Amino acid sequence: MSTPTRVELGEVIAAGASPVTARQATWRRLARLRWGVGAAGVLLLIIATAVFAPLIAPHDPLAVDIRHRLSPPAWMEHGTAEHLLGTDQVGRDLLARMIYGGRVSLAVAVASVIISATIGVLLGLGAGYFGGNTDWTIMTVINVMLTFPFVLLALAVIAVLGPSLMNMIFVLGVAGWPIYARVVRAETLAIREREFVLAGRALGMSHGRLVFRQILPNLVSTIVVIATLQVAQVIILESFLSFLGLGVQPPTPAWGNMLGEGRLYMLNSWWIATFPGLAIFLTTLVINLMGNALRDWLDPHLKE
Amino acid sequence: MKRGITLASMVLLGVSLLAPADLVAQSRDETVIYGLQSDVQNWDPPNSVLRESIILGYNVFDHLAARDLKTGKVGPSLAVSWKNLDDTTWEVKLRQGVKFHDGSPFSARDVKASFDRVLNPENKLTARGNHAKIKSVEIVDDHTVRFKTDGPYPLFVERLTALVMQSEKVMKEKGHEWMQENPIGTGPYKLVRWNKKQEHVLIRNEDYWGPKPAYKYVRIRIIPEQATQIAELISGGVDIIKAVPPDQMDVINKSGQARTTISPILRTAMIQLDQAGRAGANPFQDRRVRLAANLAVDIDSIIKHVLNGLGDRVATTVNPMAFGFDPGLKPFKQDLAQAKKLLADAGYPNGLDVAFLRGQAWAEPGVVQTSDAIVSDLAKAGIRTKARMVGEVGPFTNLVRDGKADPMFEWTWGYYSIFDADAIFFDVMTCNQPYSVYCNKAFDDLVIQGRSTLDAKRRTEIYAKAQKLIHDDAAYLYKWSLRGVWGVSNRVEYEAPRDEVDRMWIVTPRKK
Amino acid sequence: MRRYIARQLVQLIVVVFGISLLAFAILHVLGDPVLLLLPQNAGKEEFERYRHLLGLDRPMYVQYWKFVSRAVLGDFGKSWYADTPAFRLVLERMPPTIYLTLAGLVVAMVIALPLGTIAALRRHSWVDSLCTVVAVAGQAAPIFWLGIMLIIVFSVRLRLLPASGYGTWQNFLMPSFCLGAALAPITMRLVRSGVIEVMNMEFIKTARAKGLAEGRVVVKHAFRNACIPVITVLGLQFGQLLGGAIITETVFAWPGVATLTVESIRNQDFPVVQCAVVLLALLIVGVNLLVDLVVGFIDPRIRAA
Repeated sequence: MSTPTRVELGEVIAAGASPVTARQATWRRLARLRWGVGAAGVLLLIIATAVFAPLIAPHDPLAVDIRHRLSPPAWMEHGTAEHLLGTDQVGRDLLARMIYGGRVSLAVAVASVIISATIGVLLGLGAGYFGGNTDWTIMTVINVMLTFPFVLLALAVIAVLGPSLMNMIFVLGVAGWPIYARVVRAETLAIREREFVLAGRALGMSHGRLVFRQILPNLVSTIVVIATLQVAQVIILESFLSFLGLGVQPPTPAWGNMLGEGRLYMLNSWWIATFPGLAIFLTTLVINLMGNALRDWLDPHLKE
Repeated sequence: MKRGITLASMVLLGVSLLAPADLVAQSRDETVIYGLQSDVQNWDPPNSVLRESIILGYNVFDHLAARDLKTGKVGPSLAVSWKNLDDTTWEVKLRQGVKFHDGSPFSARDVKASFDRVLNPENKLTARGNHAKIKSVEIVDDHTVRFKTDGPYPLFVERLTALVMQSEKVMKEKGHEWMQENPIGTGPYKLVRWNKKQEHVLIRNEDYWGPKPAYKYVRIRIIPEQATQIAELISGGVDIIKAVPPDQMDVINKSGQARTTISPILRTAMIQLDQAGRAGANPFQDRRVRLAANLAVDIDSIIKHVLNGLGDRVATTVNPMAFGFDPGLKPFKQDLAQAKKLLADAGYPNGLDVAFLRGQAWAEPGVVQTSDAIVSDLAKAGIRTKARMVGEVGPFTNLVRDGKADPMFEWTWGYYSIFDADAIFFDVMTCNQPYSVYCNKAFDDLVIQGRSTLDAKRRTEIYAKAQKLIHDDAAYLYKWSLRGVWGVSNRVEYEAPRDEVDRMWIVTPRKK
Repeated sequence: MRRYIARQLVQLIVVVFGISLLAFAILHVLGDPVLLLLPQNAGKEEFERYRHLLGLDRPMYVQYWKFVSRAVLGDFGKSWYADTPAFRLVLERMPPTIYLTLAGLVVAMVIALPLGTIAALRRHSWVDSLCTVVAVAGQAAPIFWLGIMLIIVFSVRLRLLPASGYGTWQNFLMPSFCLGAALAPITMRLVRSGVIEVMNMEFIKTARAKGLAEGRVVVKHAFRNACIPVITVLGLQFGQLLGGAIITETVFAWPGVATLTVESIRNQDFPVVQCAVVLLALLIVGVNLLVDLVVGFIDPRIRAA
């Protein structure tokens, strides 16, 4: 049940490795891959609905209709085909809000992951490549950041900046980078002593060229794996902030604030909070499955 | 082996830390549990504006006069009788043989001290405005006091229900700081323990002068989430909750464990429009825009569909139960075309954008949903709002008080439980009051006239005029007066109080 | 060993310094306290007077120094809202949070240790697959969602457990399960990989060769060594566990530091926010140090260094 409990990705990646017979390994990889492909399919579907929201959504997600509030999903008694998943506490169509809500949740997650990946990768490369004082400084900052509960940091910063979409992307982006930096640094440390890098250095290549042309390409797969898994984490974190009322502001729908607003109705109009909850669960689940499969596929450590 | 011991001792340490101290000892059968959404800031009722302070104050302190919940009339409490000596002098006889919780007797000196304390501007007590018409308090004998008022003061008796009697001895010996957390009253219950933001435990005052309360203990639990409050009521964790959202009533009534009880209450809800420009220049300083806002919203249909009918449409801010209410004044009806026209006349042919300060359902159940509906109606007329949500009641009222609110903000007013139009006019609608963003000299004159006239008929006429004025001027966006919904466990007997003051000493076990 | 402790201490000091900087920056760099304190229509003069009064017109480093030198003595200033020292407010709320965190930790261990060990010993069996499923699904379910579900089932429908509150052992069950369940998946995976790694080590093979019973091998040798990575990561995860506590506390109205912090943030009560952030961070740093020492103690490789 994850929350902002950030996974120590490095360890997990290592934890997957275990000596097994070649045939077993192939079989397992294929099995996981199948799961991964399935998950990727579902994820693509979710992304597609988010992207094409205006074309798909049956109603305006903001249109209030107090005469038809709290109407149940179509398959229940008193439900209508007009509102497939029912309506919320002020009569807005739940399906439309789910579709648009996914748009917001995914956009926030992707944007902030890009920010944290950029910061994290640059600092990680710097620390690993230059070593010495640079390394020490960056590692210290990483340790400070990792010590700080992510949620607490996000809450505190939002308290000062005020809740808004942009602030949330900023906070989630800035708070999430240490995990990339840690892994990238470790990998860089290993690669920098490899022959092709040493050769490049001997040929007098510039630092920039060495780092970005020689080292970075070797790290892409690792970064992609982390970023994928982080998207899931950020979605959950965003939903929590919105749930507390500190994230995406109503009436803009996001899965988190829909869940938060629907909480009061759990005992009689359960659908308002249940569907966004399921959406968060399903999305993070398929992203995690896909991330795990990607890791098996791409990560050099696992290639027997 | 040594390592084993270290590990074992660490585990033991962890386990011992886990055992929480201070378990509640009293038996459930002897206890009534009351759920509140937010905690009080202190146990000194004159030093707080929160409804919670008034409620808790009633259970531990007494007032000079008290309202009979059945008739709605004000009758004796610590005072046994009162009379006018002339237009500006009242003589009050006090009850004999009453003791404070610390054992000291209650006398005229305590009455004088209580009023002097609240009236002294240096003490900066928030209740001062409620009693400012009183000029001085004189002790005639141990059980008689005389009040001198600043001109005729028709609300004198009503307001006797609004100030708790505190002990002179405590004020002198312990002082203000101590009184913030240690209430010494004469009331039916005594405070035993206060765990801030968590719970209060009260024990019956066995020396109480009035009828003996049925329950020996009162626990007041602070439960911020409405959903949790309802869950607690159904699961038996609390016996009484207030401000139940109308659309959650069926959950309680179908549970078989609890039921709801409803009463019209002395509270009106509105959206204040910053006519006075307290938070800076804004469109609502133009009457046409305020009028347009009032015409844009279909309040009747919101009451019907969102509040399940639990609200009474009012033409102004005056509650039908308050003295001075004019039933002849007709509320606005939705008229989108007229609203658009007014906006265009005011120079906003394409509509306007305005910030809207919003809160949670602290005193007004369903406010989030009703405001969502209002926002949607306003947008149809071209008034597009941008919401600023505040999560806690204290900061919300502070924003308003400090003039940092938005041009429009949600507001409800419980009249300090004073059943008189003056109790909302003065605090919420006259110039330069902390919670008022309306300023109109003509209206202020009427309010001052009203509060200095003793003759009831004359006052009714003045208030009718005042209501006409603020209605025509569309001072605020008028909504409705509330009907309160309480959730009551099937363990106990309890009826919804019309003044929103929950009196735990009248709760009795339910007969099987 | 001594060098190891010294190195940990130096890092500790640096981390504490960083945290104090962060807490200071939250208020003074990102926001302007005067703007938050004074009404909007306050005149420029009043503004400047207030700035001076609060010492905000002095250079940043002076202000920072003042903040730190006071904080060391436990003086974080008075709460802007409750009129009591922030330090006292936060300290009062600390025990419930610590109890909840420990209880959550216990629950996570109770779930993760047996499952993880069995999964490792019976690799590719149905238990192993079950663990993988639980781990992946568990990581996807938001903790606050789980909390609400627990309340509906156990309080409202079954009427077995209190929906909120604090004080009795019943109050502990749902929140600690909620928090523990959040930590269990990752712990389980770590236990599994730890045990797998250890079972392949030389000394286990030696023990087996010596003819020790398999159960004894697992319990006496494998298990203890598998504990090392688990303890390390739990130390690192402690901060995240506290983060989880914030969410759990909110759902169950638990009277801990987390609810206080969320509430203070909503109230814009920054002295309390700062104080809570610093104290929580110190707690985390302390736990990490403790974990490092414990690991150093039981891991012979580090002890020898």
